[in-house]
Amino acid sequence: MKCFINTLTAIAFSFIILPAAHAEQLIYGVQIEQLEHRYSDNQSNVLAWDGDALIGTDELKFVLRSEGEFETKTDTLESMETQARLQKPISTFFDAVAGVRVDTPDGPDRVHGVLGVHGLAPQWFEIDADLFISKNPSFRFEAEYEALITNYWFLTPSIEFDLPFADDRDIGIGAWGPKLEIGARLSYDLIDRAVSPYVGVHYERVFGETNNLKEAEGEEGDGLYFVAGLKLMF
Amino acid sequence: MSYSRVCSGIVTGLVISMLSISSLQAGEYNLTVDPVTIDTGSFTRTGVGYNGASPGPVLRFKEGEDVTINVTNNLSESTSIHWHGLILPYQQDGVPGISFDGIAPGETFTYNFPIVQSGTYWFHSHTKFQEPDGAYGAIIINSKGREPYRYDREYVVQLTDAHPHSGHRIMRNLKMMPDYYNRQQRTISDFFKDSEKMGFEAALRDRLDWGDMRMLPNDIEDVQGFTSLMNGKSSSQNWTGIFKPGERVRLRFINSSAMTYFDIRIPGLKMTVVQADGNNVQPVPVDEFRIAVAETYDVIVHPEEDKAYTVFAESMGRTASVRGTLSTKDGMTADMPELREDPVLTMADMGMAHGDMAGMDHSQMGHAMPAEMDHSKMGHGAMPAPSHKMPDGAMMSGDAHAGHKMPAGMDHSKMGDGAMMADKSDPFYAPGSGLMPAAANGGKFLSYDDLKAQKPLYPDREATREIELRLTGNMERYIWSLNGIKFSEAEPIRLQYGERLRFKFVNETMMTHPMHLHGMWSILDTGKGKWDPVKHVVSVSPGTTAYMETEVDAPGQWAFHCHLSYHANSGMFRKVIVEGGPKAKAASNNMMQGG
Amino acid sequence: MNYDTKSIVISTIAAVALFITPLEAFAAGSHGHGHASKTGEAGSASDVTSTIHITMGDNFYEPLDINVKEGETVRFIVKNTGDFVHEFNIATGEMHRAHAPEMMMMVEHGVLEPDRINWDAAKKMQASMGHGMHDEPNSVLLEPGKTGEIIWTFSNRAKLEFACNIPGHYESGMVGNIKLEH
Repeated sequence: MKCFINTLTAIAFSFIILPAAHAEQLIYGVQIEQLEHRYSDNQSNVLAWDGDALIGTDELKFVLRSEGEFETKTDTLESMETQARLQKPISTFFDAVAGVRVDTPDGPDRVHGVLGVHGLAPQWFEIDADLFISKNPSFRFEAEYEALITNYWFLTPSIEFDLPFADDRDIGIGAWGPKLEIGARLSYDLIDRAVSPYVGVHYERVFGETNNLKEAEGEEGDGLYFVAGLKLMF
Repeated sequence: MSYSRVCSGIVTGLVISMLSISSLQAGEYNLTVDPVTIDTGSFTRTGVGYNGASPGPVLRFKEGEDVTINVTNNLSESTSIHWHGLILPYQQDGVPGISFDGIAPGETFTYNFPIVQSGTYWFHSHTKFQEPDGAYGAIIINSKGREPYRYDREYVVQLTDAHPHSGHRIMRNLKMMPDYYNRQQRTISDFFKDSEKMGFEAALRDRLDWGDMRMLPNDIEDVQGFTSLMNGKSSSQNWTGIFKPGERVRLRFINSSAMTYFDIRIPGLKMTVVQADGNNVQPVPVDEFRIAVAETYDVIVHPEEDKAYTVFAESMGRTASVRGTLSTKDGMTADMPELREDPVLTMADMGMAHGDMAGMDHSQMGHAMPAEMDHSKMGHGAMPAPSHKMPDGAMMSGDAHAGHKMPAGMDHSKMGDGAMMADKSDPFYAPGSGLMPAAANGGKFLSYDDLKAQKPLYPDREATREIELRLTGNMERYIWSLNGIKFSEAEPIRLQYGERLRFKFVNETMMTHPMHLHGMWSILDTGKGKWDPVKHVVSVSPGTTAYMETEVDAPGQWAFHCHLSYHANSGMFRKVIVEGGPKAKAASNNMMQGG
Repeated sequence: MNYDTKSIVISTIAAVALFITPLEAFAAGSHGHGHASKTGEAGSASDVTSTIHITMGDNFYEPLDINVKEGETVRFIVKNTGDFVHEFNIATGEMHRAHAPEMMMMVEHGVLEPDRINWDAAKKMQASMGHGMHDEPNSVLLEPGKTGEIIWTFSNRAKLEFACNIPGHYESGMVGNIKLEH
């Protein structure tokens, strides 16, 4: 795994440093899709984030992705994923992705290899589909659609579907017990596309064996949250 | 006054006039490239200027003189100056990496070349995004002989699209999110309006058609949010040109924008177009004209009343405008028109633009090129029936449209009376195009078809070779290219000294691209044979094919690119190498070998 | 109807007819002799009291200002030294403006090419539209290198210009002033 990471990093940096005959401008930026507080009347309040930092060229981009949830009532870092991804165009609208995902929540750490696709499907759906390869493999599918209420107000429904292929009882995951997250966020472009505050709803639910495990712990298998947060791009 | 005083006075006078006569033969000019502050009234930003200001000075040259221009770089980065439209030795053309290495910070570079032409031109930096950041100025070259028009006074009217963001930042944002600057996109309420107008099903089908292609029908201006400036002044700052009633005034319009085309009119005044891109044209009286990025148009107006006239420039995508005033005294203004309705691209503009940038193999798609503008083969005004593949895959030929329901995108009610068939529509736009120009007062709008050279620069002859350049791009990645290949991955275009090259531009994108070849003239094929206009920028509308011919008479290497700044910088650029020619031995220096 | 009424009717009709005719001539454009009285009239060679040489070029006249005496008959010798077809037309500014669309039509029908007159197209235009090359005493239309002549009597006071109404030429400054001295 370490070897894999090193190789990827080496490729990434060599490509970036390689002097191009007619160097185009370096592409770089930070896009934080979610930085929000999730309020639930019963269970928990969560501070959640999801963002990318990218650097690269048209031909190859290096993306550092960070996602996490911090439960404020119990001061627990429920989930924290860090992905180092290399993205390469494979068609007009899609990129192939290869990388590494390192999970470092409160609790056992996990490392997975990442293989996937990222792009824009017809009718403007933004798609991420990833295969996480490790002892505890899983598949994740994310889709998002941005509806223009006006040119400054946006309604973004989103869906995320995680399907584990094997048990990982230490972190409460049962094989073939998927997790589903559905959200709808209403945002306003306050400063260009740089700062966009939003409010919305977030619903998550686990099924099958994962649900059983959760209930065994005395927790509910689903949760509905009201969210308020900030989208950032710079 | 004593006799000796008078005598010395006369001698001094003679000496001074002798000196100025000699300097007229060889003009020397000094320019500094400086960081400047640009204040548009709606925002302030730092940028790049010449001699401490943006726009830079108006340089006045004389046809026949040798000019020496000393350019001192006071920036902390490299710079360059390209003399747009001027015919000169390639080492003086000012393009880093092609003409020379650029001008290092602190360095003074001396340009030296003969002036072999006359007319209105301009100059700008060819380094990174210094030009959008303010580095531009005007060039007026006085004619040796008599001009075929007379006027009592003249003004330069130079337009730009000043943006609060730096050019570097705009490019970075476009790469992260190509519609970053597009606030004209279709909203949910637009859908309801469309449903009312064309019915729910048709409106839905229209949305699905565009969504299928993942393209925006409002993608006319990639970069919005700018403040247009006329001679460096916004509408509120109101550039003013004074005239005396009854005078003929020559207005030298220059579009020095990074990305924006403007439609120009002066309500109440007819404009007679007498020059395009520095070359005189047979005069055409018009009410309005569209000026592409980097083009110039000279017009004569004849205001006879003692009042103010608004010189109005409205961006092609109708997101911004700027006005200046022609009046008999300072401080007077006339009414400023409102912006007209946003244009919407139609399926006609899509023409060639559906499908993969990476691999549109037309031989396999099996469809004929729609609406080819090969005027040498067409009779005047005749339009071959377009045959094209509709988004749902069905093959359609032009006359087949007659008997069936049009796809939602083609709103014929907007197209005007039989615009597909009428001669009044501009043949340099796809029939039914959403960008078809129309004069605000219902009068005459200038078309490329109206431009005829006043004095052809070359004898008319058959082209010796044809090169096809497909104008291509991937909007989603904001990559723009020629024949699907970016500049960084492309071979140079090699031309032979003495040939007459026919360039065929096939616009496979939904945007209008102003194509600019350095160092040699672009003779635009408008079907007029020897009267074809001689230009340096050829604007190619979406879904159309345009032809221009070049007499390859300038040895060395030259830049050839779309003049939309963020397109040129993302790959829509080529190096042109002219092999052979009288100075071939001298020209085959390191640069050419390294090319 | 008795004799008196009949004569009244006839004279009324005649008066009206006479009244209408000049109006019709104006309405038809600048053809016919309806405007002769406004600007003067074609003169006869025997009455010529002065000769003025006009040089036409692209797109200019030399001289730009002419002085004539009211009532005088002047011979204009017009030479086209330019590379393009030009017109020398004596009329008021208003008449020049009315004349311009006709010249535009001649260009559109291929009669007026930039550097020559297409006589075949002119014949076709005459056949289909009723007028092709206008043959007016107050104007000459000359191909490059050709010379033409106008003899004109300035019998009326009017603010007269001489101009070329080929599209764009007037606007480019191809117009001069005729100053009438009385």
